[in-house]
Amino acid sequence: MEPRKKIAEVVETSSAEFTAQCYKLDGAPPLGSLVKTKNEPFEIYGVVYNVETHSLDPGRRVVARGENMKTEGEIFRANPQLARLLRTDFKVLVVGYGQGDSLYHYLPQKPAPIHGFVYTCQLEEVRAFTRSLDFLSLLVDARLPISVDEVAAACLRHASEAHPDPQVFLIKAGKELACMLSSDAKRLNSLLKRIR
Amino acid sequence: MSLDLIRVIGQIVDFAASLKTRERERKSKLDFALKTLKSSAAEFDGLRQKVERSKTTWLVAGPRERIDLCQPAPPCPEDFIVLASDGSHIDADHHQSAHCFLINIGMAHLQYGRNPDAQLFSFPSLYFKDDEVVITSADGRQTPIEGQLLGVKRSVEECRLLAERAGELKADLPLVALLDGSLILWGLAGQTYPDFVVTELLVNGFLNYFDKLKELSRSRQFAVASYISFSRSTEVVNLLRLAICPHQPVDCDRYCPGKFEGRECDVVGGLLDRDLFARLLDPGERSAIFSSRSSVLVKYYGGHEVNFFYIRLDGEVARVEIPLWVAEDEDLVELVHATVVDQCQRGLGYPVALSEAHEQAVVTGADREQFWALVEQVLAEDRIYLESSAKRWSKRTRWT
Repeated sequence: MEPRKKIAEVVETSSAEFTAQCYKLDGAPPLGSLVKTKNEPFEIYGVVYNVETHSLDPGRRVVARGENMKTEGEIFRANPQLARLLRTDFKVLVVGYGQGDSLYHYLPQKPAPIHGFVYTCQLEEVRAFTRSLDFLSLLVDARLPISVDEVAAACLRHASEAHPDPQVFLIKAGKELACMLSSDAKRLNSLLKRIR
Repeated sequence: MSLDLIRVIGQIVDFAASLKTRERERKSKLDFALKTLKSSAAEFDGLRQKVERSKTTWLVAGPRERIDLCQPAPPCPEDFIVLASDGSHIDADHHQSAHCFLINIGMAHLQYGRNPDAQLFSFPSLYFKDDEVVITSADGRQTPIEGQLLGVKRSVEECRLLAERAGELKADLPLVALLDGSLILWGLAGQTYPDFVVTELLVNGFLNYFDKLKELSRSRQFAVASYISFSRSTEVVNLLRLAICPHQPVDCDRYCPGKFEGRECDVVGGLLDRDLFARLLDPGERSAIFSSRSSVLVKYYGGHEVNFFYIRLDGEVARVEIPLWVAEDEDLVELVHATVVDQCQRGLGYPVALSEAHEQAVVTGADREQFWALVEQVLAEDRIYLESSAKRWSKRTRWT
């Protein structure tokens, strides 16, 4: 069993989504992957929908430094303070929660707690959570600053790897999407192309 | 009512024209100054003696090396650490009855080489106890720490934390500790503070921590220096005044009493040291080392007597001050020279460690407002209500 990794901390939170700050620069999980945090007695699950690396101080702009350097790594070795001054944040759309042995594919009563630790989900957890595709409606209906369909497709591709037969999982997900988007053939088509 | 810029623009145009004329005069003065610098460099011993015997109304640099020296930057060690501290403060508010002030010291610890690392800290301290906000003499006289004196107190704290942090580090790598601004506490030197104030802040404070820094240099390759950007010093130009002066020994009060222009030495008047070295030095080079001869140094600094040199960087000529024990050690001078040039390259023109220390220390206008609001809130929660002046209230509440 792969170890559960604590990667970030909640720095902004609401019922439907939260922002987590990574402990390591560029340490965000992949777009569409499932992460979780705890607000006792709930384990809150969410899908990573945006990753951003920026200056910790909004008043200080990042400047280009590598004109005379051979690799990007050299920039960080020559300027060790950068790792302290830059931060990678990622945004997470809440898609369900667990309580005891049960999993629920809708929003929990309580949001993710501020400063809550954020963990990557192990394959077994991803498999268990995505056995039901009820969470897809939360994802497909979400209003995000980036394309929801890109996030949904990335999420399904990522989740498929946790199932014994990824293809079977994706076909099942395609059917679920077909029901949800029956009135929008163009969108459905574009989404299905992304999970093929 | 905001500033009426339309009424100012004509004056700005006049200002530009006057600058243009001044620039032409400055250029010819500079040519002459450089010629004098080079010709007097050859008579090093004569110049030194002339300085020793002179009685001038201005501060003259004491030459320690040939004064036209242009020393290229040596390479940095493979692995080294730069430590820097800088501070800012919130002064006591006279329009409020709670007497307290805040000093925030920022520090940057940057390690370069095979194991690069960075640590950035800030240490905010609130001073409010009776013995913290005033300096008391043995016979009970008191001087409040505020205004310029708070600036001096802040310099002492910058030095204290630098010495503490430097002392905590493993002694395996060369270390340069950088301070911002002059090592001469001009805030104390330029004023007539009572002796017990100078003793407390300078002797028991700043110089005491310099003793600790010097002690560290016995167990590791360690130098301390301060960096002054855009320095307005004229000590080296004043040395040229001395070289030009036809009187022997030089005695301003005797030969030119009450004269402020038309003297022989005024042919280099108005120039700054940085103008001179901008023309003399190539990028990366340092000037000769000079000693500062301020009376406060002679009276108090002893082995920490301040020496200085100029470095030509890509964007400007900076002044670097070092204590005597660094100036007398060639390896340490090289370490400071190499590190400052390297720091400025990494920091896009300004030493990156100092700039990060400043970022940690800086207290913005908004921070000040929030700080006082927090003080009021916490005191109010404890049912302590402060008197506040009508002037303070008027500044906070703008009305028409």
